[in-house]
Amino acid sequence: MTKNVVTARKQEVPLQDDNSSVFLQIMVCISVFLFGVTLAGVLSINAMLNAWNESILGSLTVQIMPIVEDNKDAAQAEVLRQQSKAVEFLNQYEGVEKAEPLTDKQLNYLIQPWLGDGVDVSDLPVPRLIDVKIRKDAEIDFMQLAEKLAEVSPLASIDDHKLWLDKLINFADSLRLLALVVLLLVVVVTSGAIFYCTQTSLGLHRYVIEILHLMGAKDTYVAQQYAHKTAFLGFVGGIYGLVLIIPTIYVVSGLAKQIEGGIVSETSLSMLDWGIIFSLPFFSSLMAMITAYYTVKHTLVKFM
Amino acid sequence: MLAKKSGGRILADNISDVDTIIGMQNVGIRYGQGAEVLSDINLTLRRGSFHFLTGKSGAGKTSLLSMMYLSQKASRGIVKIFGRNIAFADRDCLALLRRRIGVVFQDFRLLDHMTAFDNVALPLRVCGMEEREVRKRVTELLQWVELSKKINDRASTLSGGEKQRVAIARAVINRPEILLADEPTGNVDSDIANKLMKLFVELNKLGTTVVIATHSERLITDFPFPRLHLQNKGLKIYRPVVLDGTERRL
Repeated sequence: MTKNVVTARKQEVPLQDDNSSVFLQIMVCISVFLFGVTLAGVLSINAMLNAWNESILGSLTVQIMPIVEDNKDAAQAEVLRQQSKAVEFLNQYEGVEKAEPLTDKQLNYLIQPWLGDGVDVSDLPVPRLIDVKIRKDAEIDFMQLAEKLAEVSPLASIDDHKLWLDKLINFADSLRLLALVVLLLVVVVTSGAIFYCTQTSLGLHRYVIEILHLMGAKDTYVAQQYAHKTAFLGFVGGIYGLVLIIPTIYVVSGLAKQIEGGIVSETSLSMLDWGIIFSLPFFSSLMAMITAYYTVKHTLVKFM
Repeated sequence: MLAKKSGGRILADNISDVDTIIGMQNVGIRYGQGAEVLSDINLTLRRGSFHFLTGKSGAGKTSLLSMMYLSQKASRGIVKIFGRNIAFADRDCLALLRRRIGVVFQDFRLLDHMTAFDNVALPLRVCGMEEREVRKRVTELLQWVELSKKINDRASTLSGGEKQRVAIARAVINRPEILLADEPTGNVDSDIANKLMKLFVELNKLGTTVVIATHSERLITDFPFPRLHLQNKGLKIYRPVVLDGTERRL
């Protein structure tokens, strides 16, 4: 007979029969999908901002403005002379790791999108460019550098990229803030859905719960049954959501990489970012469990 | 014919005694804004006592019992269970007190989706007892109430008498200090009724306080225990006098 009795212990509150279980899984699936895609967006924006910041901090560009006069060879020679002086000065400047003038080939490549192939830069009044790499942690006073450089090479001017990048960073920051608000809303809406599903279920199973109370069960006993069940539903819903997230990220990422100009070339997610996205089912499970647990504790106060 | 009369107030003064399992003082119950269904109930149930609870239908037997098993709060007055004033007990405290009370409900209140075994195991599981010990105790008790063959049957498939026996097994599995039964023999034949009553008497001899709500005159006659009689919203206590088969108000 004992053999017959050894059956798996069932939960007293028959939550597996609830219709709301299916709704809850769908709800969590959608929420995790929205959360995951938005989170991937936030993480990409973070990566992009970091890359931009690093590029700002790590380099600057010096322009040697062209001289427009009839004697082109003399003007060209003067520009190249000033370029050499500027490079020499910059390579000796404290905090500068390396200063290197761009070759004609590199300049051609830069203006190619505007002027097309086969253009001889030497024939055009195009500024010469010097790419300057700055040492890590070097604190350079750009105003002072610009003044000293102007003394050595009057045609030189500094572009530290800050102006246009600042605008771009501000825009990216706004996007990130918006995404964070969306993430917060998804969490609030999902918690609300779990709250009302749990309350409905408590109403459906009131009879069973009152019997449990009469047998001496504490509210915690009932709350734990709800927490276990809802954690499971949250996890399964989260897995479904994750299954939808992964292809979506790949598609969006592929589309972003098609944008020319390199602005969004740094948007790929790191291993840590993927780790965070893959942990979403655990997060949804935990959130569902905590919400259900406290909803039950809160609601049972009105019971017997 | 020798019955000693004693006022309810004297009984009520003792509600804080160590030996008092349930004490009520000037207790009234009303539902919503309606009139009181029970008024000025004064009662002291001492450890190890055995009482029948009688009264016509609608006299308030179930209300009084539900107050004893902490399902119903008094609208007024003082109720003390195991020395604790219920008005000041929090939910966890009430749960712990309920674990010391066994209840047999008139409508059984079994969990239909669970087996006879799981229903009887319920009071042990909510206390967190080890599953091995639960199996041992429940199996023994179901054997005793002759339901060994129905151990894995769902409660919804059991007959009225079988449900009754499962409900009784569930009420006593936790060795409660007080057993409250609402018409426990109402759905069983006289043989099983006698057997159940003998179980209650045995439990009472082991120290369990017993209160049985019943309409059965036969039970009251066959088992001469004091009677709490509800009449006109109040409570009268009768002590049986065995000599001539009559009883007197206490």
